[in-house]
Amino acid sequence: MTMTDGRTGLARRGEALAARHLAGLGMEVLERNWRHGRAEADLVLRDGAALVICEVKTRRGLGYGDPLEAITVTKARRLRQLAGAYVSQADEGFGEVRVDAVGILWPDDGRPQLRHVRGVWS
Amino acid sequence: MKLGHTRAVALAGVAGTLVDVEAHIASGLPTIAVSGLPDKACGQAPDRIRSAASAAGVAIPTQRIVVNLSPASITKHGSLFDLPIAIAVLAAAGVVRSQVATDAVHLGELGLDGSIRGVRGVLPCVLAAARAGVEDVVVPLENVAEARLVDEIRVHAAASLEELLEWYAAEHRRGTPVPLASPPPPRPVTGARVVDMADVVGQPEARFAVELAACGGHHMLLSGPPGVGKTMLAERLVTVLPALSRSLALESHSIRSLSGLAAASSSLDCTPPYEAPHHSASVAAIVGGGSGAVLPGAISRAHGGVLFMDEAPEFRTSVLQTLRQPLESGTVTIARARESVTFPARFLLVLAANPCPCGKAWGKSSECTCSALELRRYQSRLSGPLMDRVDIRVTVPPVPRGAFVEASGEGSAAIGARVLQARGAQAERWRALPERLNGTVPGSVLRRPPFRLPSRVTATLDHGLDLGTLSLRGYDRVLRLAWSTADLSGHTTPTADDVGLALHLRSGGMAA
Repeated sequence: MTMTDGRTGLARRGEALAARHLAGLGMEVLERNWRHGRAEADLVLRDGAALVICEVKTRRGLGYGDPLEAITVTKARRLRQLAGAYVSQADEGFGEVRVDAVGILWPDDGRPQLRHVRGVWS
Repeated sequence: MKLGHTRAVALAGVAGTLVDVEAHIASGLPTIAVSGLPDKACGQAPDRIRSAASAAGVAIPTQRIVVNLSPASITKHGSLFDLPIAIAVLAAAGVVRSQVATDAVHLGELGLDGSIRGVRGVLPCVLAAARAGVEDVVVPLENVAEARLVDEIRVHAAASLEELLEWYAAEHRRGTPVPLASPPPPRPVTGARVVDMADVVGQPEARFAVELAACGGHHMLLSGPPGVGKTMLAERLVTVLPALSRSLALESHSIRSLSGLAAASSSLDCTPPYEAPHHSASVAAIVGGGSGAVLPGAISRAHGGVLFMDEAPEFRTSVLQTLRQPLESGTVTIARARESVTFPARFLLVLAANPCPCGKAWGKSSECTCSALELRRYQSRLSGPLMDRVDIRVTVPPVPRGAFVEASGEGSAAIGARVLQARGAQAERWRALPERLNGTVPGSVLRRPPFRLPSRVTATLDHGLDLGTLSLRGYDRVLRLAWSTADLSGHTTPTADDVGLALHLRSGGMAA
């Protein structure tokens, strides 16, 4: 991987922050960085009866656009497939499947700003 | 629920429909989706809008934005929807709060630097907006001249999105009216060649034919060897035609605007247009069409003026055939699977033809090298239904050397004055008809009282009809021409001489 430690570090910090935020909303974190084949889900959560696959995108600045802009329709569709894969191997059942996205803007010298979008694939 | 709203115009031909542009900001991943049947250029608006907004110092919300162009059933062509979509989105985002912005029609393409760029078809859009009762329109700076031709609407023109947003902010906060567009500076008069009938040497018969064609709106065929001045005569026909009426001039200007040819003149150009397409022109180039948006063709650009087809027999047969319906109805309808577009196309047709393909079949010592078959094929291309609609067929002979020293012919102004007077007489006489020109009066009107001519006047014609040398259609055509010659010579009804002259002009020229 060509990613430097600094950047993966930022991603890890972002994912941890997102997990805390979603837990605060009453969701239960089932998995972190759950891999299936070549795809990976940053966070897998249970929200009541619903299975939530959540993509977390963290950026230092807006130079390349809003973090959420990086999540394209193709990406969202891949996450939806990932949700299906998770359900088929899970022991428990889910009433509903949802894909969420969390965008975090985390400047080097400031507090992170987090935005959570529910149900990006609909 | 965040909603933004403004207006635009969708064009089908020169007819515009008012379009409501709505933007809705919802929760979701950041996208701008345009719905309501946009074409490719219109659907790409979001990409330009994002860059233009950031150049203007405002941010498009990073949320899911749905833009709807209503009524959704008509296709929205082109980039002129950039500006209205941007204003609707920014209104939804709370950046634009002015009521003026909501009610106004916006037209224009956005550059990535936030500049508002000129688009085609602004005049027909503004006309449609004014007819629908819209009070304000915002156009690109480039299109101010044509937009200001419409009286019943306030025209605003901003150079950039940033400037426009400042105006709206000032209007909302302090009630400062959005500034009106100032008239564009008059364009320096380019050294346009001024043509005049006085330039024509000799050719008394052709000169008279031109005057007659202008007077009654008769289509004309000029035939003669190369280099005798057929093109010259056709070019000068527009100089003796009466100036266009305001509504006709607006139609003509609208067509030029759609073709991207509208000059930035601050006054309405009432000169009848002159179109001379090359004989290799395609059907779409002549009648209109093209891929994507339907564009007007040469016959529509010639609306109200002259369509000159030099080397007429060299035009493709399909092209010549497509002229028949517009010649009859004065409009051309281009039908597509999804839409059908009608353009105005009332023009004076002037055809020019050489006597044969090599052009030398002239005079006693003919050097023509064409075979009999070639000759026949050449002449047959112009015969049939198209020639049925051509009232005047005149032969343009080579100019004798003696004509050079003659005093120059009468100028366009004097001829134009006579034409205008003759047209006045026609308008009075045919006031009950929809078209008040001799060239379009139905034959049945001419053959029945009160316009039926006494038999001593039509004796030669009646004789021809009896002998079968003249068809009934030909009979009517001669009558129409006779009325025009009478109008030009100041007779209240055609005399036997007028009829004789008309008969001569009708049968002159080629054997067709």
